[in-house]
Parts: sequence; C-alpha cells; structure tokens
Amino acid sequence: MVEKEDPISEVAEDEEDYDEDEDEEEEEPPVTSQSRMRNDRERMEGLLRRMSSERVPLRVHDVIIKGNNKTKESLIEAEVQALKTVTSMQELLQAATIANARLQKLAIFDSVTVTLDSGPPDLPGTSNVIVEVVESKNRVTGDIGIFTKPEARSWSLESSLKLKNMLGHGDIWDGSLSYGWDQTSEISTGVALPRFMKLVNPVTARVSLLSQDWLKFSSYKEQALGLSLGLLSTRNHDLAYNLSWRTLTDPSQMACKSVRSQLGHNLLSHLKYTFKIDKRNSPLRPTRGFAFVSTSQLGGIFPDYRSVRFIRQEFDLRYALPLGFARAAINFGVAGGVIFPWGGGFVNTPVSLPDRFFLGGNSSPVCSLGGPTSLLGFKTRGLGPSEPRREVGEKAGDAGFDPSSERDFLGGDLAVTAFADLSFDLPLKVLRDSNIHGHAFACAGSLVKLTENSFRDLSFQKYRDSFRRSAGFGLIVPTKLFRMEVNYCYILRQHEHDRAKTGVQFSFSSPL
Amino acid sequence: MDEAIQSEQQQHLTLVIRKACFGLPTACPSCLPVYIYLKFANVPFDLSYNLTFPDSDHFLSIESTKDKEKLLLLSTSVNFCDVSLDLQHLCSLADQIPYVDTDTYVAYNNEKGGVIESLKEDNIVNLDAGVQNLPEWVSTMAMINSWLSDAILYELWVGSDGSSAHKIYYSDLPWPVGKLLYLKQVHNVKQLLGISKETAERREEEIYRRATMAYQALSTKLGEESFFSDNRQVPTCYIFLPTSLDAFFLGHALITLYALPETSVLRGKLLEQANLVKYADKLKAEFLDAGSSSPDPSSSSVPRRGPSNWGKFRVPVTNCSKPKGQPKRERTQEEKSFRRKAKYFLVTQMVAVLVFLSLLGGSDDTEVDADGDDGFDYDG
Repeated sequence: MVEKEDPISEVAEDEEDYDEDEDEEEEEPPVTSQSRMRNDRERMEGLLRRMSSERVPLRVHDVIIKGNNKTKESLIEAEVQALKTVTSMQELLQAATIANARLQKLAIFDSVTVTLDSGPPDLPGTSNVIVEVVESKNRVTGDIGIFTKPEARSWSLESSLKLKNMLGHGDIWDGSLSYGWDQTSEISTGVALPRFMKLVNPVTARVSLLSQDWLKFSSYKEQALGLSLGLLSTRNHDLAYNLSWRTLTDPSQMACKSVRSQLGHNLLSHLKYTFKIDKRNSPLRPTRGFAFVSTSQLGGIFPDYRSVRFIRQEFDLRYALPLGFARAAINFGVAGGVIFPWGGGFVNTPVSLPDRFFLGGNSSPVCSLGGPTSLLGFKTRGLGPSEPRREVGEKAGDAGFDPSSERDFLGGDLAVTAFADLSFDLPLKVLRDSNIHGHAFACAGSLVKLTENSFRDLSFQKYRDSFRRSAGFGLIVPTKLFRMEVNYCYILRQHEHDRAKTGVQFSFSSPL
Repeated sequence: MDEAIQSEQQQHLTLVIRKACFGLPTACPSCLPVYIYLKFANVPFDLSYNLTFPDSDHFLSIESTKDKEKLLLLSTSVNFCDVSLDLQHLCSLADQIPYVDTDTYVAYNNEKGGVIESLKEDNIVNLDAGVQNLPEWVSTMAMINSWLSDAILYELWVGSDGSSAHKIYYSDLPWPVGKLLYLKQVHNVKQLLGISKETAERREEEIYRRATMAYQALSTKLGEESFFSDNRQVPTCYIFLPTSLDAFFLGHALITLYALPETSVLRGKLLEQANLVKYADKLKAEFLDAGSSSPDPSSSSVPRRGPSNWGKFRVPVTNCSKPKGQPKRERTQEEKSFRRKAKYFLVTQMVAVLVFLSLLGGSDDTEVDADGDDGFDYDG
C-alpha cells in the first residue's frame, strides 16, 4: 500500500517530466503557459489518483550521483542501494525518502537532494534518480555542552572538536575533553565510519584516557587507558568491545584492607551487549509507556588468562501509568544486577573493585535508565559493604567524629533497586507553563556481596534485612541548562555505616 | 597482660610482598629484607602477595634543582646520622610495597624511613636497639643501602637481559601491560642512575667497582662470625645477633646469588667472597627454608631480645604523616555548622536564580509522542 506521507522537504520530486505511458499520444496543441500549467496539474492529479488506487509499475534505470568532490561514490551508492531494486512508483517514493534521510544522517553534507527523472525514452517504465549532495564546506566543528553519557553516573561538561569526512568515507573524527560532576575527567579521540569494509552497520572506534577520583568514597583513584569498538548500534541493540588498561592507586595511603589488595594494574577486555526498548512518551517526565534495558557483559575475552574475568548482567524495567488528571502519573521501576568472576578458583576470587555495583547518589531514578544505581537519600556510594580505613591518630574519642566517614565503601555483587514515583502538575499556571512539577516517591535498594564465599552466609532473612528504604517528596525544575530536583527525603531504614541523611537534597542532571 | 588477645593480634600481622620466585619467598630487593627481618625477630606473620602493582614506587625525577632540594629535605627525615644517602635509596623508600598491616594498621615502606623503621618506631619489633647509634653500624648500613642497592638495581634492569626482573615483577600481569611497564621502568632506572649513551660505560664501571669494594669490606667485617654486629647491650660478652643490617645484606646477597643469571657480573663478584656466600646459604637454610611463615615462638633458635617487645605487641595508632598534602585540620562543631549554613544559603540563592530564569525563559516541553513510529535506522 502506498503510504501517503508528506515527503521530506529536501526531497524534490520532479514529476513534470515523468511520462509513464509510451503509447499515449501527445496531442498537445500549442497552448499558453497557463493552459500548460493546467495540463500539468491535471496530469499530476491523475497520477496521484492512479498511485492511490493501484500499483504503478516502475523500475530505476540509473542512479546518478552529483556534487561529491571528496566523498567516495561507493559510500553514497551504498546508502541509496535500495533505489535500484524498486518495482513501483510507490516504492520509489518511499525508497527515495529513506535514501535522503540516510545521507542526511551521515552528517557530512550540507544538503541532499534526490530528484526523480524520467528514464531513457527507449526504455519505458523506467526512471533515473539523481542524487545531488553539497559537501560541508566547514569540515571542522566545535562543540561544548553538558551531556549525559551512557556510562556516566551523572552529567558532564564536555567540549569536542569534530573533523568530518577527512578520508572521504564519511568518517567523522572527534577529540573531546570532558569533566564530570563526580570527579571524572576524560580525554578521548574517536572515529565513526558509516561503512567499514563490507560491514553494513556503522563502526565506531574510540581511544580514551579516563581518570576517576574515588578517594573520598573508596580511597582509590582509577585511571584507564582504553580502546572501544562499537560493533553494532541500532535503535534497540548495541554491541561494543572494550579493551582497557586500568590502574588503581591510593595516593592518600588510607585505604582499607580490601582496597589495598586491589591496587595495581589490570587488563579489562570485555564485550558488552545492550538491549533497550523505550516506549515511554518522555525520558524525563514519562506519563505513559514502558521501558526495558538489559545489559550483559562478558569480561576476559583475551588470549591472556591474566585479564579480568567476569560475567555481569543487569536489567532495568520501568512502567508509567497515567492517572488522567493534572498530567499526573505513577512511575514504577525495578532494576537489578549481578556480577561474578569466572575461571579457575572463581569461588574464592573477589570481583575487581571498579566493576562492582555501587548504589547511592541523588540522581533521579525516573530519568536514569540503565541498571541499579541510585537510591534517593543516600550519598554517592553510600551503602553496602564497607570496611574501616587505616587508623591515623586518636580520632575515635573526638566530638563530632563520624565513623562512617572513615570507611571505604566496596560495592557489591548483587544489587536490586525499586521505586515508585507519583508526579503531578502544580496548581499555579505559571509553574505548569514552565513544566515545573511536583513528585512524591518511595525507594528501596539492597547491595550485598556474594564472592569470596560470602554467598554461603546469605540467607533469605538476611537478604530481606539488607534492603534500605527511603521516601519523600519534592519539586522538579527543568531549565535549559539543568534539570534540577529539590527533594525532602526521609530515610525509613538504613544500616549502621550507611551514608544517608534525612533532609532537603538537591540534584542536578542533564536537561536531555 | 592479655596475652591471648596479643597473640591473636600477632597472628593477624600480615606482610604483603611481591611474589615468590627463584626459590626465595620473594625476589624483590625491597621486600626480601623485611621478610628476613621478621624471621630474625621470630614474629609470627601471615604472608600475602601483591602481584599487580610492580610500580608502586614513584621515582623522583631529578631534573630540576627543586627536586634536588626535595630530596635533601627527604634525606634529613631518615634516621641516618651524617650520611648523605644515595638517590636510589631515597627513591626506594617511595615504594609502597612491601608493607605490614593488620585490619586498620599499616606500615608502608614509603613512610617513616621504611617498614623496618616503622616497626621499630611503633614498638612492634626492634632488633637494632643496641647498635643503631654506632657510627660503624650506620655507615655499613648506608653502604649496603646505597652502593649495593645501586648495583642490584643496575643488574636487574640494565646489566642483564631483564628476564629476572620480568619474572619478579611482571609475570602475573597480562603481557601488554607487563611489557610496557617493564620498558618504562628500564627508562626510569637509567634516568635515576644517570645512565645515558655517553655515561653508560663509566657508570657501569663505577657501580661494579663500588660493589666490589663493599663486598670486600663486608667480608672483612664479617670474618667467620654468624652475623655482622655484636650486641653491645650485654657489655661483658659479645653476642652476635642479627640486626636489620643482616636483613638488608642477606636480602641483597640471596637475590644476587639466586635471582640473577649465572652470567651476571655482580653475581660473579659476590661469589669471590666465600665467607659471604657461606653466610648467605647458612642463614637461608636456617631462617627461610625451614618452617612456615608463622613459626612457633618457643622453637626459635634466636634468643628473644628485650628491645623487640614482640611479646607486648599491640597495634599502635600513630600519627604517621601522609606522603602528600597537609594534615587535615580538625574542624570544630561551630565551623561545621557555619559551613553547613553557608552551603544552604548559597544553594538557596542559586535555586532562586534558576527558578527566575526558568520562569523568564521558559523551558521546552520535552514530551515526545512515540506512537511506535519507526524512524530510519539500519535495520530497515
């Protein structure tokens, strides 16, 4: 069936020269321009009527590419390949629209025009397609902004420089520098290739140097020099390979025993597959729909048996239920994750510290889709297994001494979080117009250790007791620069050494 | 005293060193002397290995005058009177590993002059009580920790093919990581020892000459005795008991004899001193090859010495200074309250500004209807 959809504005369809019926005698008497226009209009209307009622057979004789001085013709041909196999006018229109969109998506052209022209007169029922591109004059672009990266736990300030189409294969090179709110800094350079050799899917490669400072929470700093290869990236599926040389150090020399034993170098080689489906109507304030993300990682796929070996699985399920008044909706979410090592002696082997699950932080559970991470009311890395740090000086007797600040949080191997969030518009119109809304929430989460034979001590009762809970209400203020939440959070249940606090909290996230 | 508790604490003392190889409990020149020292003192300890941090040291670059001044300041903090230490020893003190720890107590090698000095200062074990102020003992120690340390450093990283160093430090790291770290360390050692294309030959000759002189001096000093020092604590008779000097030299000798290849020049020079070789073999058999890492104190062949105080071992909580940064200033309750209030004030002001901007500028409604309308992707 023909889809009568509005063509993309850049598609210029020149129907005036199309002559389908060879037998039709042209018996146009000499006419004025007005009558010619009237005739053309009548012919067009006739064609559209015909297209809407029946299949108009047509095939493409030739695809002519113009305007590519630097871009390799093979790249453009690959993107418009579908045009050559059309068998009807309707298919041709659809394929032309898709081809135009694909070429636009390469982000290396200033404009793309797909023109449908009549084929050679001696070949009836054929059409020539002319693809005209205007390559970007300015191949270097710079960018600075606030982004949320999929791997990041919070937003980051990022500046990047892009170089487009340097080799003519639609390659986009970029160098970026970013600084995150959670003491993360990264410098990286990468390249994205829409077509690499015979692969249909685009391939990306990135080399990055990442530095994260966890001294305040876990008494270690992490530096990672990594190479990432994006092997498959579609709407729902993402497959990437990562090879990283990771170093953990403790310049403060205050780390607890478990962290001390993990300091040093390791090589991480893992495949990561992400399946994502998001049918919610908004990623920031969903009022209907559902979303599901599953991430699987297999570490240790490297010829050297001394690389870090683990299997990690996490999932995140969300559902938004509209209530039918004041744009109110209830969002439910449950997320979980487990990690364990593999290989000889895996029962007694601890999981590498940076790969474990950590819960805590003020990021909104509604907006952060991607596994168990946040639990409102608890500070970053503020719950779960912990150990006392190295003792220096006689501090225990001091007034105001906070024992939890002298502990390192080690993360866990099994993490589960759940939340329920009721969002609603506020009565004032000025607030509604600015999309400032209120919400009430309840969260629960658990983080336990399984490795090094800890699972033997874990009973169902103990696991149930390991769940922390919090509840509260707040105000959400989306602005152009930030998305801000002001929440009053009440801790319903916490463990002895958790870093949690009842009171007003602010959190900031990316506006997108 | 609560000897049961103390005994339990003693058993929880853990020594973290680099891996065992070449028939030695560890072949790392920084780690083996500490191991031997604890064995001499008959202190029960558990052994743990760190296999992934070969470069836990931070070699100081001595390119600038400022760095040299830093080194001089560092050297004054070490308790060796009137001895200017060789740079290598100063830099080996920057190595975190080895370290001795319990749950919350740690004696790192790069604090307070080293693990052995920390153990002395924290009254855990002290074998040097009667000798550590004697000039001859001090200068012998300085000679071992400078000339012989330089020599073993040179031999491991520059003078040989590097196979020994690779086995000691990198055999448990993945190949690419180990290889790159090894190359980096070779470069660092050459820089530290002042070895370049122009000076390589001269420095090599100087290092070996000093090592030879040190061996000869030590051979003369040792004679036929069991250890290098006599215990002046008992003035009426001279009892030769091990001190940290023995620990440092024995560590050096064992690594030279067992870890270096047979073609090693340094090894050849040590083999020329028969009494030193006999001393090393004898002590290795007595202390390293016999028994576990936690021997029964009652069966020790080394008489217990008063100053070691290991029977009164208690995990100390000491004011050890952090190698970097200023000591944290204790905040009073008033200061904390003031800071909290100031923080709330600033945040409130910022919130007000943001709300004002938001109401003034408005924000885009980011709701997007997703009716299952498939966009263009590479699945199509």
